[in-house]
Amino acid sequence: MKGKGWQFLACALLLLPWVRILPAQTVPYQRPVETAPQPDSIGGGYRIPVVQKPLPRAYWLQILDVALLAAAMGVSIWLVLARRSRKWLVGLSIASLAYFGFYREGCICPIGSIQNVTVALIDPKYSIPIVVTATFILPLVAALFFGRAFCGGVCALGAIQELVVIRPVQVPRRLDRALGLLKYVYLGLAIAYAVKPALIRNFLICRFDPFVGIFRRTGPPHMLIIGGLFLAAGMFVGRPYCRWLCPYGGLLAWCTRLARRGVTITPGPELDCGLCIDACPYGAIEKMRAVGRNCLYCARCYDSCPKHRQLVRIS
Amino acid sequence: MSRRRGAWIAGSMVALCVAILLADYIVASPKSTTAARLARKSRDNVVAWVLIAGAGAFLVCAKSAWGRVSYAPRAGRSSPQPPYQTVAGYQPAPPPAELDLAFIEEAIARLGRGKESTIPLLQAIQSHYRYLPDDALRRLCELTDITPAEIAGTSSFYARFRRSPAGEHIVRVCHGTACHVSGARQITDELRRYLAIPGGADTDPARRFTLDEVACLGCCSLAPVLMVDGRPAGKLTPASACAALRELS
Repeated sequence: MKGKGWQFLACALLLLPWVRILPAQTVPYQRPVETAPQPDSIGGGYRIPVVQKPLPRAYWLQILDVALLAAAMGVSIWLVLARRSRKWLVGLSIASLAYFGFYREGCICPIGSIQNVTVALIDPKYSIPIVVTATFILPLVAALFFGRAFCGGVCALGAIQELVVIRPVQVPRRLDRALGLLKYVYLGLAIAYAVKPALIRNFLICRFDPFVGIFRRTGPPHMLIIGGLFLAAGMFVGRPYCRWLCPYGGLLAWCTRLARRGVTITPGPELDCGLCIDACPYGAIEKMRAVGRNCLYCARCYDSCPKHRQLVRIS
Repeated sequence: MSRRRGAWIAGSMVALCVAILLADYIVASPKSTTAARLARKSRDNVVAWVLIAGAGAFLVCAKSAWGRVSYAPRAGRSSPQPPYQTVAGYQPAPPPAELDLAFIEEAIARLGRGKESTIPLLQAIQSHYRYLPDDALRRLCELTDITPAEIAGTSSFYARFRRSPAGEHIVRVCHGTACHVSGARQITDELRRYLAIPGGADTDPARRFTLDEVACLGCCSLAPVLMVDGRPAGKLTPASACAALRELS
């Protein structure tokens, strides 16, 4: 499967549906007023008051968000694959958490954009800005070539979990694999709820996002508590949401199967010490080789490698 | 020690903030907007920021206090023997055919049977059989004045002579200075695994490839470089070395 042309083919396949929904990018927003009481039926000379809408974010700022997303992914790829620097990657994670998490309050994010994109593909009346489309596509394209670079140091949900890891335990591989199937169930549920008719449509991923309440410092109390529990568990189990629940992680894992460049473990007989296996909290190294679809680009394997440290000191 | 104290202090701060927020949530009356409720709300916002800062401080302290695991190589973990894939289309080597020793007599007739002919004779045998078979050497001792000790000495002294059968293709990995510093060792190791060459041997069990570490191939600008039967491949990585092997063989 890892042939040379496959990624480009997959890229084209990814971009193909957008030809159809490009017109949808310009559908103006309209309230679904058919269901509300109309002035005629209310009577008494009632007039609909002018609806006050919050001003949308300036367009160039939206473009800036996408540019920053792309730039952060580029930096993540460079730091992990070329510099192999865990230290700087942590710095990038903090920066992403601050910007995409606390400043942009967890929105716009590729994980939630799955639903917007699905609805845009199904419902011709649904408007989706090109910015959302780009946010959805960019990490997938990066995954086609380099693996899950988005997960490491860019995704705010990933970053907050990455930073709380203190003393991770190795989850038994079979359990890990079984729990990993949950994310596909979640993906299916999210799509199933998103394609329902407009009035009973429900964006499950956003509603049950465990960390967005923390980014906004407000939210439904039960979600805040669940988010807190996720972070508390995340101190001992590496990134539970990313590995087992994140629906976008499932899509990225699929794309990563085609990736030819990603995190690799260079073998050497004097070096098959397995330190990187012990250091990987995500069970992404099997038989001394990195498994791209599980690798979350944290660079811990490089950080733990005695030979690598020696090389870095020399050069 | 102070790190741990810091972690405990920050941790209890986090716990306190969580307790305040939970208490506010429990006593809150969502029905009416009173001055007290607004005050509580603005206080909660501050508490939330303190909580986030406290959590950050807790993480920094806790990571340096408890997070450093001194990983040591495990005693039981041996070099992995995963199913490293070998080159596709492998067939086990056919059992070595009965040596045709007539060549020895022909070579002796041509090159002479004195001690001075040792090296020419060994060269002739090597170029005929591609290595020095023990049977051929024994026959050589019988037919000439050369003693087994001399043959052993000569054949083990010169690196060009080999006493074990060679593979179908000879892979020469350059270990010259330029290649050495750019990772010839890693490439050799990766090729050994890829071809499943056991430790101590230089030829894979199916005798398709013989891996030879040579001093210099003379194209340092291409380092690290290897040569498969005289065809070179340069600027290698462990992964591309395996690919080059597939292409050139």
